[in-house]
Amino acid sequence: MKPALTLDQLHLSYGRRKVLNDISVTVEEGEFFIIIGPNGSGKTSLLKTAFGAVRPQQGTVRILGRPLRAYSGRKLAQVVAVVPQAAPADIPFTVAEVVLMGRSPHLPWLGLERQQDRETARRAMQFTHVAHLAARRLEHLSAGERQRVLIARAICQQPRLLVLDEPTSALDLAHQVQIMDLLAELRGNDGVTVVMVSHDLNLAALYADRLLLMKEGNVVSMGEPAQVLTFDTLEEAYGCVLLVDENPLKKVPRITLVPKRLLAVDPARR
Amino acid sequence: MTAPSVPRRILTVSSGLAVFLGLSVWLGLSIGSTGQNLREVFALLIGSAGPDETLANIVWRIRLPRVLLAALAGATLSLGGLVFQALLRNPLAEPYILGISGGAAIGAIIGILLGLSRFPGVALLAFAGSMATLFLVLVIASVRLSLKQDSLILAGVMVNAFCSSLIMFLLSLTQDARLHNILFWLMGDLSLSDGTQTLILAACLAPCFFLLFFMARPMNLLLLGEEMAASMGVNVRAISLVLVVVTSFMVSATVCQSGLLGFVGLVTPHLLRLLFGPDHRVLVPACILGGGAYLVWCDLLARFLPAQGELPVGVITALIGAPLFIYLLLRAKR
Amino acid sequence: MILQQLKILLLVLVFLVTAAEAGLVKDQLGREVLVPDEPKRIVSLAPSITEIVFALGAGHLLQGVTQHCDFPPEAGALPKVGSYVHLDLERIVALKPDLCLGARDGNPREVAEKLEALNIPVYAVNPRDLQTVMSTLIEIGRLLHAEAQAEVLVAKMRGRIEGVKARVATTQVRPKIFFQIGIVPIVSLGTNTCIGELITTAGGHNLAAGPTPYPRFSKEQVVALEPEVIIITSMTRGQDFEPVRDDWYRWSNLPAVRNHRIHIVESDIFDRPSPRLVEGLELLARLIHPELW
Repeated sequence: MKPALTLDQLHLSYGRRKVLNDISVTVEEGEFFIIIGPNGSGKTSLLKTAFGAVRPQQGTVRILGRPLRAYSGRKLAQVVAVVPQAAPADIPFTVAEVVLMGRSPHLPWLGLERQQDRETARRAMQFTHVAHLAARRLEHLSAGERQRVLIARAICQQPRLLVLDEPTSALDLAHQVQIMDLLAELRGNDGVTVVMVSHDLNLAALYADRLLLMKEGNVVSMGEPAQVLTFDTLEEAYGCVLLVDENPLKKVPRITLVPKRLLAVDPARR
Repeated sequence: MTAPSVPRRILTVSSGLAVFLGLSVWLGLSIGSTGQNLREVFALLIGSAGPDETLANIVWRIRLPRVLLAALAGATLSLGGLVFQALLRNPLAEPYILGISGGAAIGAIIGILLGLSRFPGVALLAFAGSMATLFLVLVIASVRLSLKQDSLILAGVMVNAFCSSLIMFLLSLTQDARLHNILFWLMGDLSLSDGTQTLILAACLAPCFFLLFFMARPMNLLLLGEEMAASMGVNVRAISLVLVVVTSFMVSATVCQSGLLGFVGLVTPHLLRLLFGPDHRVLVPACILGGGAYLVWCDLLARFLPAQGELPVGVITALIGAPLFIYLLLRAKR
Repeated sequence: MILQQLKILLLVLVFLVTAAEAGLVKDQLGREVLVPDEPKRIVSLAPSITEIVFALGAGHLLQGVTQHCDFPPEAGALPKVGSYVHLDLERIVALKPDLCLGARDGNPREVAEKLEALNIPVYAVNPRDLQTVMSTLIEIGRLLHAEAQAEVLVAKMRGRIEGVKARVATTQVRPKIFFQIGIVPIVSLGTNTCIGELITTAGGHNLAAGPTPYPRFSKEQVVALEPEVIIITSMTRGQDFEPVRDDWYRWSNLPAVRNHRIHIVESDIFDRPSPRLVEGLELLARLIHPELW
């Protein structure tokens, strides 16, 4: 089975600033792969090279075994769907219209949708629990609802690889879990590969098959959550003291922040 | 989803507006400074008219080129406004925003001052002027960022402002009768329309209309944001360039013959969006047909309202367009 | 074969018939215009032309005039076809004229072309000053079969002009005249303009003489020229000139102010190239040389 995404010895600079330094990553099909790291570590840039939004100065990107360059814009969109971090606030379309636009890469020039496209859109909206909002305009929805609609749109694209940039950072707790559950389900049912960037270490630990921890354009650690989320790697990446123990729900690490005064109180924990 | 399918919507909206346009044209042909003759004109149109040559001359040779030009100019300006509002993601965008009006005005004023005839002299200079400013805007915008929306708007505003100062300078040098000509051109004036020129314009515009219709879906996707549009297979840079160039060409060609008609391109897209929704596949034909009808009506009023002579069409489009726009804005806020 | 020959014969006959009813004449634009022999329905496209037609006694032939054709009063009653910069094609066509008389420098050329495309001949004349008004009278007189009347009018005009010239020749004094046609900005007239020539003929020295036809002046420039007579008129009608004159009175050093020689005149007899220019000339002469009258 070909890996869904291969990044091979990537080097990326924005002007003089080196953003990615010799990164090599392989994501297998059907994996839930989460990239974590502090701000400025290059997480988003890495994601952007994965779906072709930026081109690395060196190295190759392969989607489903084929180099990225071999894909036309349209063909790529049939395989990779992206949910960017920020969407404009003033999109005038209704939920149904936005989700249906996800069928675009599969349709000819005028993009006149057929019955089966509308079916796909309906199913995508049901999956993300936004079907009841179909006639509402996107700009009138809450952040959580809007995010689910955008994910529905991405699902409607029927991609093999779904790429998301911090999909839960603006949401409140209930919605965060909801979105992550949706993504897990997606991967489970249809074998879609999910690659995302996350801010939240615990969420990442609970859901990811594998993690990639980055710092300043370099890989600090890559592998299963238990491997990657250790005290040493986290201190190296984040530069602060973190408490690492085991999550009572699942055999994955649990990260707790440590306020300075509590640190002084219990040195034995070190 | 209970809404009717897009192809069905395109058909119903287009046919409805086409009928409306037809009626408006009939009305426009029937009303003029020599009176209103609805029935006789209808008879003329279906070919069963009497031998009154004078009326036939008036309708075919004087009113028809003018009404046709109004329909074409209305279609172009509305479509231009629609495209720029989608491309620049700005509800205040209108067809002149990328410096076209400034350049065209300077070209036209120079032509009028040199004593050239409206066509081809003044028209060609106006066209050359607008293409020059478009080029300037594209260069300025791409120097900053790669054709991003903000830099396009900024460059357009800067170039228009500079052109305004040049125009004021040129106006201050002008004497009597030519000043009158220039002012009429700046306000928008359909009275010097000519059958042949209008047909040439129609031939230039038709391919642009078709092309823009086929760009309707990418325009929809652009409204989701450049990142998402790109991820769905839209070559944002190429599409933006094509949209800018085709629209600017079409607006410039029209402005050469009609002068700088204002408010049409700003208001009609909003109005049509309110009536028919934001899908550009429906809006592009709606703007062509509905925008054309809108200007035919404005021209009609310009000829009908005053007791003596006629008002410049630009005055009517401003008088109707400005309050209409304010109303639409207020309504959208709710 | 026979059909072909018959067609040619028919064409020739038609041509002969129409040619008999009309003649090709060269107008002031250098165009060959097919003018009807007996024009019965004329539309005038400029106020000066209207005055000329009425002066020739052919006013009854006029079917339409422009908005600003206000002299003679009968012209005011005729149907209007727009203003001479902005003609209303529809109204002209509706009047079914067989000849339109237009002004070479004034009417937009496109309108003439459009009317010709509708088979309405447009004959362009070019009255600019006293000389050309007289030649235009003769020209139009010929077109309208009013040659005799034209000759009489021209003779009368010549007589009056010579009369003014004779009186003016009796003195060497040429007072400094500032003839103001624009209020804001201040505009006067140069040497090669109608009014410039009138001033010289009326025995004045035009302070704005020079190559520029419509030179602009600032207040200081006029004051520095020390005009002895200021004559104010304006191309725009219906304006209140009293405040303008009062404004000049603030400059008490000006000879024109000291001697109370600031005059406001009716613009029509100065800026309209019609037979009434002679009246303008006479008025000007009286204002410049009151001692001679």
